[in-house]
Amino acid sequence: MPLTPLPLADPGRPDLTSPTAFLRWLGRAQRRGQVLATLWALVEMGGQAALPVALGHGVQAAVDGDPAGIWRAGGLAALLAAAAAAGAVLLHRQAVWNWIHAATHVRQLVARQASHLGSGLSRRIATGEVVAVGSGDVERIGWYVELNARVRASVLVWLAVSSVVLLTEPALGIGVLLGVPVLAASMWPLIGPFERRYARQRELGGKAAELAADTVAGLRVLRGIGGEELFLDRYRAASQKVRAAAVRSARISALMQTQEVLLPGLFVVGVTWYGARLAASGELAVGTLIAVYGATAFLASPLRILGEAAHAWSVARVSAGRAVRVLSLSRTSGAAEAALTRPGKADLHDPATGLTARAGELTAVVCGDPDFAGALAERLGGHVPLAEGESEQPSVRLGGTELDAVPLAEARAAVLVHDKDPVLLSGTLAELFDVPGAGRVPAAEALAAARCEDVLEALVDGTPDCGGDAMRARVAERGRSLSGGQRQRLALARALLADPPVLVLDEPTSAVDAHTEERIAAGLHGLRAGRTTVVFATSPLLLDRADRVVLLRDGRAVAAGRHRELMREEPAYRAAVTRDEAQPLGEAV
Amino acid sequence: MKPPVHREQGPATTLPVGSPAAVRAYLRLLARRHRGGFSAVVALHSVATVAGLVGPWVLGSLVESLATGTAEGTIAVAVGWYLLALAVQSAFTGWSRLRGAVLGERVLADLREDFLVRSVALPTGVLERAGTGDLVSRGTTDVDRLDKSIREAVPELAVAVVSLLLVLGALLVTSPLLALTSLVGLPLLLVSSRWYFRRAPTSYRNEAAGYAAVSNVLAETVDAGRTVEALRLGEQRVRLTDRKLGEWLAWERYTLWLRSVWFPTIDTAYTAAVLGTLVLGGLFTLRGWITVGQLTAGVLYAQQLTAPVDLILRWYDELQIGQASLARLVGVREVPEHEGDESARPDGRRVEARDVRFGYREGADVLHGISLDVAPGSRVALVGPSGAGKSTLGRLLAGIYAPGRGSVTLGGAALSRMPAERVRAEVALVNQEHHVFVGTLRDNLRLAAPAADDTELRAALDAVDAGGWAAALPEGLDTEVGSGGTALTPPQAQQLALARLVLADPHTLVLDEATSLLDPRAARHLERSLSRVLEGRTVIAIAHRLHTAHDADVIAVVEGGRISEYGSHPELVAAGGPYAALWRSWRDER
Repeated sequence: MPLTPLPLADPGRPDLTSPTAFLRWLGRAQRRGQVLATLWALVEMGGQAALPVALGHGVQAAVDGDPAGIWRAGGLAALLAAAAAAGAVLLHRQAVWNWIHAATHVRQLVARQASHLGSGLSRRIATGEVVAVGSGDVERIGWYVELNARVRASVLVWLAVSSVVLLTEPALGIGVLLGVPVLAASMWPLIGPFERRYARQRELGGKAAELAADTVAGLRVLRGIGGEELFLDRYRAASQKVRAAAVRSARISALMQTQEVLLPGLFVVGVTWYGARLAASGELAVGTLIAVYGATAFLASPLRILGEAAHAWSVARVSAGRAVRVLSLSRTSGAAEAALTRPGKADLHDPATGLTARAGELTAVVCGDPDFAGALAERLGGHVPLAEGESEQPSVRLGGTELDAVPLAEARAAVLVHDKDPVLLSGTLAELFDVPGAGRVPAAEALAAARCEDVLEALVDGTPDCGGDAMRARVAERGRSLSGGQRQRLALARALLADPPVLVLDEPTSAVDAHTEERIAAGLHGLRAGRTTVVFATSPLLLDRADRVVLLRDGRAVAAGRHRELMREEPAYRAAVTRDEAQPLGEAV
Repeated sequence: MKPPVHREQGPATTLPVGSPAAVRAYLRLLARRHRGGFSAVVALHSVATVAGLVGPWVLGSLVESLATGTAEGTIAVAVGWYLLALAVQSAFTGWSRLRGAVLGERVLADLREDFLVRSVALPTGVLERAGTGDLVSRGTTDVDRLDKSIREAVPELAVAVVSLLLVLGALLVTSPLLALTSLVGLPLLLVSSRWYFRRAPTSYRNEAAGYAAVSNVLAETVDAGRTVEALRLGEQRVRLTDRKLGEWLAWERYTLWLRSVWFPTIDTAYTAAVLGTLVLGGLFTLRGWITVGQLTAGVLYAQQLTAPVDLILRWYDELQIGQASLARLVGVREVPEHEGDESARPDGRRVEARDVRFGYREGADVLHGISLDVAPGSRVALVGPSGAGKSTLGRLLAGIYAPGRGSVTLGGAALSRMPAERVRAEVALVNQEHHVFVGTLRDNLRLAAPAADDTELRAALDAVDAGGWAAALPEGLDTEVGSGGTALTPPQAQQLALARLVLADPHTLVLDEATSLLDPRAARHLERSLSRVLEGRTVIAIAHRLHTAHDADVIAVVEGGRISEYGSHPELVAAGGPYAALWRSWRDER
């Protein structure tokens, strides 16, 4: 049977009215898989349940001294076993694939949601929660969805076995019919406490693992300055707590295992005792007794599936709730239907501060408060996602058009805001540079302008299998293998490569040394010639290269001009630029 | 079916992986430590298994008596035995599982604690070179995998092996002939399992790595939300997620195929055992070689063989995965410890580099003959463009690396030969890595001076301009910081690193861009506060801001692995070289 091709071309729109509705929607999305899995489970369990009948026939034939009967029984058993084996493997394939189907489906939905919400997501929900949905929760959701088919088959098999026994021996049949649900229910009281203790164990385990990872990640600090014993003691304490919690949950799980042996065992003993008495009085053939014994013993497996289902339901509901919460978030923006004409040829103006960046020029902005500068830089791109309690400010205008009134995608295409902490996404350098808009500026020029020579060397050194080709060298997650200055320069190169009509840079060289900064300032000016660029900066090396510098004080633009002019003529500017930064220590005191 | 081509790459393995001999030696060590616990588990489980064998035997004798018509009176006795055996079996099953869990948890705790003990003793040079990525992945992913192996696989396997042996024993006792017939499926089982286990472990590793890769892509998309939106990468991230899902699914399909081949063959082998016993045993019964009771018990025992064999096979690959993880944990033990030379004692505080050459790789030197003489109590600034070798020189001066040629000495003694504990009492390095440990702010400071009281801790925070925000934290020094606690900004983290340095109080400090994350004004202010506290200490500062150079006694301009200019600020400005030009453009004195 061919399996549904995955990932899905279109994951569709989920039903998010409740966690249960979401789980049902996932099940409906794989109806064919669910039907097939139920069918295969019936074949497998049916074969297993009927096998004792064949064994019973065989023993009966031995008792009766009938060699042909033995061969017949053997043949029947072989057929049943073959059916069970075939059903088992087909069920396994389909059940695993159903699990994978549901997990893949949810992961595709979450990935689309994360990409859609962009910067809005992390303001509304913790990153960890989204990631938890994408890794841990999908497993539990998939488990529950897959299990549905097996539960249906278990119930059917239980009813079928009961009715067969009921027909041959009514009293035994009623026992089997009622015994299974009673036994299944008797497992449930322990599940709750076990779940709680296990959750506690997991929580402590997670903490200990985090402590270990954290200690190891900061090992260079510890080795350089001391404190190893302090941290080892702390970790040992955490590790022993995990051990104690694990033993506590093991106590309940041991009790559950005792129950799992004892209760079905008692059931089997009861059935055997009753059957043996019937057999002794001649009402039941010996072979039938064996068949009943085997069938009853077999019922332990649908019983286990029912127990598993209760467990799966309790965890999957919580996971589905989390998934629904993440998938329900939306990014509200008013009617955005305005259009930009020639964004590269328009001035960028902020009514709140009075700041204007002229088209085609490199404008530097000097502002005493780095936090204010960061917020202003973000506003220059328009469509700022608001956290709760924040009020909207008048929109920035590009050539007279309000950016907030332009569709988000168009606004982002017109203005690229390069914030203080741009993230380097992991992958090869070629993948890192594969951004919309790339191609107009050659990668080599962007890298040269951002002075990335040593970054390339470091990347090639860190990727032994790239064969010396920097484009095939790998960048670690968040560029962790690089120094702060190297990360900053590589991110700058990426922004230059995207070649947007308007580029807003917030302190792009704060972690770069003066020698390199001066070269970057020259490179930036050359590469962005004729394009609109705004750079928030404090270093005279950058300011000196700007076509125009704007000074902000108390949230307003108060002066504008070339750096040297302002230095000469504007005492407030001179104070803002040289205060502390460039003024040598000796002169300050 | 061929295995998929794509394989996820984990973090590069930068530390050694334990050899099979080392893994065995470590396992022997663990076995010796936990001998008592292990024997108890095996003994308890043996009782449970033997009790479990009573059921079929009782049924067999019951059938025997029913067949011969002598069942009257024996039924109650048989059921009584059955009940007793069931009670013993269930009680001992629970007990043995509990002891097994207790043992497993002890072993696990030992493993993870041993690993960390070894890790924190790694030489600093090894850490600098290998990075911490590999080590973190061993401490989390590998410990986690072993967790599963040890918590479940080891007890299940021990239990399965005991069960298997006992059931085989019971079969032998019931009838040696039937014991033989139950082995009918064995050849098939061995051949197909061998085929499967050759392919399974690497495939499952790739499958797990593929699954994690999808999670990582998702985590990055969320984490980089702002960047993704700004650069319009949304569509691309969706495509990347789908591609990674496809790569993971290819491995899932492959392992599914492996099982689709293997499961039916082992099922066939199990069936052959039961049917062989039934048919051949039935014929033996007809010949009168065995009784009907023996046949019944034999068939049921043959069926009981299935469960333990299945368990052994199911957990076998888990064990292989666990073994690979264990090898990675044990590997840390194979890094040679830094053998410090006790006789290397500094006489004085003068730091001297003589014609130092150094490279990270053979034949690719980063430093080409650097000589530098740092007088006690002086302040030296290293400036120069990125990639010139400033940080490398800093690490050599802090004793983290040994020079390839030439010498780096403190008070006449080679720094790299001193024991790590002695080096760090004399010289400390603070770099851009600003790690905030999970724990209280107090923990984060006290690691540098375990005996320091709160007054000293606060004084250290004040010295780095951090007194204000530290006092404003919700619970002061007891505030939980680091991942999961109150988040400190990168500049605050950098101040914390410097506060540790103040507490550690070494006489020589190497500061590698130690204030680079602060905004220029705050950095300037901090350096002033710090210089008051560090009065009289030797400071070697690698700086990207020229005012740091201006304030130093001596400036060394490093370019291309060589010192190109050397002297005090006024001297260099007067000399009119590249440094002077840079300074002027920075101060607008052109």
